[in-house]
Amino acid sequence: MTQEILQLLNVESAYGPIKAIRGVSLKVRQGEIATVLGSNGAGKTTILKTISGIIDPRKGSIEFKGEAITARDPAHIVQRGLVHVPEGREVFPLLSVRDNLLMGAYTRQDRDGVARDMETVYGYFPILRERAGQDAGLLSGGQQQMLAISRAIMAAPALILLDEPSLGLSPKLTREIFEIVVRINRERGTTILLVEQNANMALNAADYGYVLENGRIVMEDTCERLREKEDIKEFYLGLKDDGVRGERRWKKKKTWR
Amino acid sequence: MNATRSSDTRAPDGLWDLAHLQPRTEVVVPGDTIPAIFWKAVEMRGDRTWLRQKELGIWRAWSWNETAEAVREIAGGLMALGFAPGECASILSNTVIEWVLCDLAVLSCGGVANGIYPTDAASQVHYLCEDSRSTVLFVEDDEQLDKALEVRERLPLLRKVVVFDMEGLRELDDPGVISLDALRALGREHMQAHPQALAQRVAACRPGDLAILVYTSGTTGKPKGAMHSHRGLVYTMHGYNTLAAQGEDDERMCFLPLCHIAERMGGEYAALYTGAVLNFVENPETVPENVREIAPTVFTAVPRVWEKFYSGVMIALKEASRLQQAAYAWSIGVGQAIAERVLAGQPVGGALRFKFRLARWLALDNVRKLIGIHRARFLVTGAAPISPELVRWYLALGVPMLEVWGMTESCGASTGVPASRIKPGSIGPAAGYNEVRLDPATGEILVRGPNVFMGYLNLPEKTAETIDADGWLHTGDVGTVDEDGYFRITDRMKDIIITAGGKNITPSELENELKFSPYITDAVVIGDAKPYLTVIIMIDQENVEKFAQDHDVPFSNYASLTRAREVQALIQGEIDRVNARFARVEQIKKFFLLDTQLSAEDEELTPTMKLKRKLVQAKYAERIDAMYR
Repeated sequence: MTQEILQLLNVESAYGPIKAIRGVSLKVRQGEIATVLGSNGAGKTTILKTISGIIDPRKGSIEFKGEAITARDPAHIVQRGLVHVPEGREVFPLLSVRDNLLMGAYTRQDRDGVARDMETVYGYFPILRERAGQDAGLLSGGQQQMLAISRAIMAAPALILLDEPSLGLSPKLTREIFEIVVRINRERGTTILLVEQNANMALNAADYGYVLENGRIVMEDTCERLREKEDIKEFYLGLKDDGVRGERRWKKKKTWR
Repeated sequence: MNATRSSDTRAPDGLWDLAHLQPRTEVVVPGDTIPAIFWKAVEMRGDRTWLRQKELGIWRAWSWNETAEAVREIAGGLMALGFAPGECASILSNTVIEWVLCDLAVLSCGGVANGIYPTDAASQVHYLCEDSRSTVLFVEDDEQLDKALEVRERLPLLRKVVVFDMEGLRELDDPGVISLDALRALGREHMQAHPQALAQRVAACRPGDLAILVYTSGTTGKPKGAMHSHRGLVYTMHGYNTLAAQGEDDERMCFLPLCHIAERMGGEYAALYTGAVLNFVENPETVPENVREIAPTVFTAVPRVWEKFYSGVMIALKEASRLQQAAYAWSIGVGQAIAERVLAGQPVGGALRFKFRLARWLALDNVRKLIGIHRARFLVTGAAPISPELVRWYLALGVPMLEVWGMTESCGASTGVPASRIKPGSIGPAAGYNEVRLDPATGEILVRGPNVFMGYLNLPEKTAETIDADGWLHTGDVGTVDEDGYFRITDRMKDIIITAGGKNITPSELENELKFSPYITDAVVIGDAKPYLTVIIMIDQENVEKFAQDHDVPFSNYASLTRAREVQALIQGEIDRVNARFARVEQIKKFFLLDTQLSAEDEELTPTMKLKRKLVQAKYAERIDAMYR
């Protein structure tokens, strides 16, 4: 049994009176890609924001590498090796691509290592090297996503939180980004917690998955087994039998078994 | 007259104030068949509202005249399709207005109406249509239609499938399927050509004719179709009003499955007769919101619903402030003190009444509003056993809860608790319209009267087993009767447990106590021919999740919740609490929690969401055995 790098116990977060996550317990094991699937408003982003310290939870605890990081300062959490790639990339538009990457390495002292990692990310995404001097705001959406992921790598994290990398990207670009995400995981051993609406992509890339509905986890299993579940097929992968009439509009009831 | 009627329908001030809940014995609407009464009621009530249902979020009222027009057109359509008197039409739908319209149209044509649960699988739909020899099948929407189409080829008698809601079916081109609107159009033409046809059919309908089929959810074997004649239905309909009368000013909520005798008789037909307004819920999931919106003045439901309301209040209470909790505790205490006095037949003094007024203002009125029973004159519970504690809780809120007991075969209620003398835990004395007695040999409760059904369709032997030569219906429930003639159910005859030690145990007593816990939805006690008792428990997901959350118990999905050590300990604590009230041999030694979340589609549950004892025992035999190792 590999060891957990991240553990959430009964985490509850709210925006004012609205509870976004209502008691989430999950584990991410060292070296794996874990994914949280869920529809709009299920609470996926809130989970990530709570982990990285942007939101303080109402209840529950978060442990990273054996240390309690519940409601700690986000800067401290980054220094401990946990980096958050936010939804919608959030690159610094007026800084050059290179400076954006260096911002990612802000917490690091080892210049050699930074230079080495800079080369690595240029290896993953050659387009970033070509555009290194340009303002990040001039990059396309896909390139900005590449930059956001690269910026995270520059912090040399043990764990990356990846929020909807496929958002607004073409299917082809999405596939490319996911391939790199898997490579980062395999080659660098970086653990990744991925949040996605694109269930098909996420289930193929990740090792272990959680399904979140209305702020609660309703199902968890290896992605291999999740792909075979009836509810996942019908509600997340859009695979359904068409019924007797050859077209079926009504939805079965979710049972989460 | 008007003044007294409106004062009739106000909610009581408190439990001491139940004098207005009077039986009504005179005939409200004349007629000796369901269609005769319906058409007479239309004549009498005309533009008054009868049915209400939400359309796109806005309540739409159906007057008696509008209802009649729709029924006339549907009936015309049926006749145009060649639907002959005595033929059966089945209805496969949730509880919606169209259900009632089609039911009344089928009966007006002299036909037989049969309901099918919308949660039934295609194979069950096939069996019920085949057994009832249905020639027309009404379905709610595309989902239900697909079930019908799947089995249609094996139903040679089925001529047409009629769809209420055509959304998503615009492309459908099938000669065997027609929309309800198209059927009504067909009916309009037919009625123009044959204006007297419907009136003739209604007049030709005889009281002794078979009117409806109600299939009992056979826990073992195939479901059996209980036959009820017009005479039986009308007789019982009159009878219900002698238990606790209702009238045109009453608002009711129609939400239980109409294929179940409780909503069919206590809801649809009782409202048809008395003129009470039937408000339909949007769907089974919106019941809690709809109750608050409708605020019924008369409210009939099954124990599961009352349990759910209670546990909803308990959850809200846990989230309330200390002050609010204290206000509730004091107020419910006052309510309980009054309930005790009323139950003991003692007068409630002015001081206590004043305190109750304060209690209502402080907390109890809010609790009532939270549930949606703030206008309720009385509540009726039936169709399954209810915990006496729960009845006492509603009484403490100042709302009378009257338990009735009956079964499909007795056309619903056979006994009922009168408002003038409530005894929680008792199902009340025999209703005036039928005889009820105990079998001297076995203690089984027997019922005799015109409300008793005609027999099971196609099953003369089963009928003979159920109704004896003297006309007594053998209900299968075992009970006792006290000196006031109040009956108590001890258990279903076939459910009584005899342990290996030879001790007779009535599982429902233990189960009802367990179900009063907000953490337990249902329980099945096991122990027949076993050395000790064990129990299978279905937890209340919402409350147990809340408990886990409050106590930092980590869980992810339902199964992991049931496995959590703290949850196991919580349930053990609930069992210990119940065990404390019973003798040693009657105590539960072990238990396990069902780790799948069950829904109405699952075979383990009855349509009223109770665990099926036999099925659960068979299905979980291995885990049960493990408790005896």
